[in-house]
Amino acid sequence: MTKVLNKVKSFFVGIPTKVKNYFKSIPDRLKKKFAGAKEIITQGNSKVGASICCMGLGQLLYKQWTKGSMFILLQVAFILYFVFTGGADLFGLFTLGQVKGDAWFGIAGDNSVVMMLMGIFAVIMIMFYIAIYIVNVKDVYATQCAEDTLKEPLSFKSQAASLLDKNFHKTALTLPIIGVCIFSILPIVFMILIAFTNYGGTTVPPELVDWVGFENFGKILTLGQFAPTFFKIFGWNLMWAVLSTAINFFAGIGLALLLNKACVKCKAIWRAFPILAYAIPGFITLLGFKFMFSYGGPINYYIQQGGGDAIGFLAVNSKWTARLIGLGVNAWISVPSIMLLATGILSNLNNDLYEAARVDGASAWRQFIKITLPYVLFATTPVLITQFINNFNNFGIFYFLRDGVISDSYFLANNTDLLINWLYRISIDNNYYSIGAAISLIIFIVTSIISLTVYILSPSYKQEETFR
Amino acid sequence: MNKAKAKVVKSKSKKVLNVLITYCILIVVAFIFFFPCLWLILASFSKSGSIYSFDGFFPKEYGIDAFKTLFTDTVMYNYPKWFLNTLFISVMSCIFGTLLTILTAYCMSRFRFKSRKKLMKATLVLGMFPSFMGTIAVYLLMTQFNLINQQWGLILIYSGTAPMGYMVQKGFFDTIPYSIDEAARIDGASNFTVFVKFILPLSKPILVYTALTSFTWPWSDFILPKMLLQNRDLWTVAVGLMSLGETEFARFAAGSIIIAIPIIILYFCLVKYMINGMSAGAVKE
Repeated sequence: MTKVLNKVKSFFVGIPTKVKNYFKSIPDRLKKKFAGAKEIITQGNSKVGASICCMGLGQLLYKQWTKGSMFILLQVAFILYFVFTGGADLFGLFTLGQVKGDAWFGIAGDNSVVMMLMGIFAVIMIMFYIAIYIVNVKDVYATQCAEDTLKEPLSFKSQAASLLDKNFHKTALTLPIIGVCIFSILPIVFMILIAFTNYGGTTVPPELVDWVGFENFGKILTLGQFAPTFFKIFGWNLMWAVLSTAINFFAGIGLALLLNKACVKCKAIWRAFPILAYAIPGFITLLGFKFMFSYGGPINYYIQQGGGDAIGFLAVNSKWTARLIGLGVNAWISVPSIMLLATGILSNLNNDLYEAARVDGASAWRQFIKITLPYVLFATTPVLITQFINNFNNFGIFYFLRDGVISDSYFLANNTDLLINWLYRISIDNNYYSIGAAISLIIFIVTSIISLTVYILSPSYKQEETFR
Repeated sequence: MNKAKAKVVKSKSKKVLNVLITYCILIVVAFIFFFPCLWLILASFSKSGSIYSFDGFFPKEYGIDAFKTLFTDTVMYNYPKWFLNTLFISVMSCIFGTLLTILTAYCMSRFRFKSRKKLMKATLVLGMFPSFMGTIAVYLLMTQFNLINQQWGLILIYSGTAPMGYMVQKGFFDTIPYSIDEAARIDGASNFTVFVKFILPLSKPILVYTALTSFTWPWSDFILPKMLLQNRDLWTVAVGLMSLGETEFARFAAGSIIIAIPIIILYFCLVKYMINGMSAGAVKE
């Protein structure tokens, strides 16, 4: 145990020096980066200079018509974008709007939130532009070098062909990177920035939104409204994540081992039942279980037949029944996937190990403890981490099971809500956008610390090569 | 002599007990997983729709009214339309999402370019953000692009974010030996040809796995469609079924079964590929 603690400690103690080294190495790395730029500027001829001033001009001077005109077109398109919307958008990112809308006087006003979004978009566009610009300068310099050494410069045709060969990755990754930039990175950056504004509550467009620094985090941790709810939900959230991951993980592996036993006949049939559960879309399962435990549902029917009173398993005044049902339903949904995974891993397991163990006279139990378990644990640790994060942020379970339930002494939440459910209620249903964004940043920090720690402790990190 | 015999008998009875316990557990497990499904199937064949008219788990009277009303009574709940919407969105996102994910994974596995490590780290970090942290931003973005109440908006989001989960596929490509690439390249094939002619035919399991996961995600997602599709006629089945109350229980069950059956059939046909794909991605980091 102390060994484990020391390991974690040494990792976190090591962080400051790592950060320091990173910052110390910046000048060196910058020098390296700019060495190339310096070479181009000092060695480049006038045609390179032309391309530095105006993208594509140098290529045209070298009579590379197609390439040159393409660069020039891109340049014109970017300048048009920047003049008409981009520049204003970028400026808007800092001010977040100055003119308040007034319907009475017919003033349209600034929409701070859209301005922020478009501002981030402009930043991404500028980054793309800079990347293309650098490509352009490097290209023309390469042509110059080729000409100086009396080599045939690469023709446009062969360069285009290299996009399917040597530079195939550039072609292939363009679309994915654009997609991820717009639909993953842009929204995440937007939400991170929102956490530092006062967007939400009554401050929504047409009101102007402003930067407020760390105020929102302070509010969550200290303000009477948010703080108690936050800590209560956070505690339960941690407990939920640990419990549900452990249950799903061990039940799934246990099931796979059970099905893997030599004495089980017709494995395919037995395996079919969990797969059936796995294949049903999650929302159907969740809604189905909600009906099952509802007041009019079958469980309560039997309770009433037996002379009892109907129990509100998922109603306002239930706490642990609802939590246990949540754990059970989550297991019903997730155990099959772990089982499938473990089945695949077990089928890859080398039989020679068991042969050797049998020759040495190891009992079945010892074989299990010494060979099977370490191997399965080793192979599934990365999955364990993703499982943990998914469970920590398991939105669906309590969103469906306890929709619209608000408990006493909780602010806009109930006693089974996870942080992510609270986040949804706060920001989507009740407009506290900035607080919601701050909560999601906190969730991010917690999950990343935990998963890093688990990763360091995991066997797959310690002994990467053992089973390969 | 006797002692040895007793030992054999004992170990034999132990074995029988072992088998017995194993099968008992298996039966319990099968029951736990199968019973809720059976319940839904029975419920879909109940004559009256409301959950209050059931004898516990079993409907009082059986009939196929629920299925009939599902397709005929379309004024409030236009199930056929929802089904077609879901199918369209899922198929399109499946095609584009699979293409992008496979391309990303292949590049990350085979090419050693300058920003590769950076990209890999960045996706790892991005993956740790709560999944719908950016929903509000996505919503605003869609209003800006005029893609609210448009199915293509959803397809764009699903396929645009799909490459983030390329790790499993990369793990699979890592297991395909490099000697194949090298041999093909000596014969003068370009990287593009190597990918299309040699790698793709070898990666059928992972293609199936990717296609299946990127099909089922939009098929059963409810957060994005609920937010972006406000028009009743544009809803997907998930959003539509969520709007059904306890009195429409039979209709819910019937609708669920119709949407679950294609997926279940797919899963059972492709379960081998699933197991291969999952474990290939897991053993590698």
